[in-house]
Amino acid sequence: MNKFVQLLSDIAKLWAKYGGAYLGGIRNTLILALVGTLIGCVIGFICGVLNTIPYSKSDHPLKRFVLKLIQVIIRVYVEVFRGTPMVLQAVFLYYGLPYFTDNALKFTSVWAAAIVVVSINTGAYMAESVRGGIISVDPGQTEGAMAIGMNHVQTMTSVILPQALRNIMPQIGNNFIINVKDTSVMFIIGFTEFFAAHRAAVGASYLYFPSATIEMVGYLTMTLIASFLLRWMEKKMDGAGSYELVQTDQLTMTAGTYNFPGRGTPFDEQNPEAVKSMMRENLRRQAEQDEAIRQGRKTDRRLESGVSELGADRKEER
Amino acid sequence: MSDPILQINHLSKSFGSNLVLRDIDFTVSTGDVISIIGASGSGKSTLLRCINLLETPTSGEIRYHGKNVLERGTKPASYRSHVGMVFQSFNLFNNMTVLDNCMVGQLRVLKRSREEARDRAMEYLEKVGMAPYVNAKPRQISGGQKQRVAIARAMAMDPEVLLFDEPTSALDPEMVGEVLSVMQTLAESGMTMLVVTHEMAFAREVSSRVVYMNDGVICEQGSPEDMFGHPQKQETIDFLSRFRK
Repeated sequence: MNKFVQLLSDIAKLWAKYGGAYLGGIRNTLILALVGTLIGCVIGFICGVLNTIPYSKSDHPLKRFVLKLIQVIIRVYVEVFRGTPMVLQAVFLYYGLPYFTDNALKFTSVWAAAIVVVSINTGAYMAESVRGGIISVDPGQTEGAMAIGMNHVQTMTSVILPQALRNIMPQIGNNFIINVKDTSVMFIIGFTEFFAAHRAAVGASYLYFPSATIEMVGYLTMTLIASFLLRWMEKKMDGAGSYELVQTDQLTMTAGTYNFPGRGTPFDEQNPEAVKSMMRENLRRQAEQDEAIRQGRKTDRRLESGVSELGADRKEER
Repeated sequence: MSDPILQINHLSKSFGSNLVLRDIDFTVSTGDVISIIGASGSGKSTLLRCINLLETPTSGEIRYHGKNVLERGTKPASYRSHVGMVFQSFNLFNNMTVLDNCMVGQLRVLKRSREEARDRAMEYLEKVGMAPYVNAKPRQISGGQKQRVAIARAMAMDPEVLLFDEPTSALDPEMVGEVLSVMQTLAESGMTMLVVTHEMAFAREVSSRVVYMNDGVICEQGSPEDMFGHPQKQETIDFLSRFRK
């Protein structure tokens, strides 16, 4: 038991001294993970969309060649960045760039380098997720959009991508949580995130285990809050579970206002919209009455000529 | 009659080595209500999907006001905006409300203003009796209601022809009536319609022409009275006899 007391007092000691560093680390970790995930999503969406552009044999050969080339490039990008550790990618980019260009080209801030690495890495994972998300949208949605004359871009932006985005929200959440944890490798290029704060603290205090406990609790808190927020966002995207029926109250709308349709009333200028909706309502009621009359006629006719036939139709169909 | 909207000449379609449509010749004029009947697998739906270019025909031509839409350089999207389609599985956009479903095509394809699109959408939603449901999402309404919205969505684009691909086949029996009565109202208002259907009562009472397809060819066509009263071909007689016991 006194071990726990010991631990708590050590943590308190650490926190008193390095609390600011830990909190700063948490802040940097969250910003890096958030920005990296967002840019990664954008990269992923661009790759996923480019990857799913349809082409057929009847298309222009140049178009087919370009599309094929794009797909090969994306494929290589995805395989390379998914297949190597992020910690090495960071080193590779941060030290490789000045090495090859004789310092002409280098990252001036670790922030930029870290964000680029995390974004590219996330993008590689998201590219495949987005492709899957697009493919998983019912083909009927595309056909419905095409049938009202939408082109590929319109279909994508209005119909497919919003649904694909909803489908891959759990994936985006996954990536964000992975990024919160995996940005801890960015200490390698000197980025001061949450884990770097730990290294700094233990370097001075040698309290490895208490500091690691702080780290554990800190990371778990961040990811728990993140997954809670993501669930909430998903719910938000699904919209309300119920809907409101829209009904205009005919009596309040028309009471005392309807006089001589041809002549118009002062009501017209004041509220043309109300008059329009009133007229629509009248038309609708007229149609309803017609419908009722016709329905009546139809049932009569069916009764006379073919109830049994109609029943037979249905049976055939099943 | 006036010059035909659609003229289909020698249309064939094969999936691999499977010849689904063979040498179809077929004309649609303004105001026609044509029912296409036939057994499953006879190519009815494929014909409709070819007409809307959802399938690319293997050979033949589709002339829309005399212009072949299968030629290179014609934009299928702009042609499709004149030829509406209602699907068996509704295909309403799941991410939009009923009203948005009916507006999005007008806004993005026809570039109408929001007010105009809204008015037009409401007009047709009222016609199909779905105006109170404008705020609902497709997953919240029944099959028959979805199909009525799909009809309103197609109509809001002011198409010249409306294609129906078995619009009632995915519906429960008690919902078939509401969709058919909407279609009947449309037909009576002079809309040009091409309906693939298994509803023989509808084909007989509403359409101006009935086409019987068998095994990828148009086997027989004529007025509903002739087709149902005195079918000429043996296949037609056999097919129709299954509907009256």
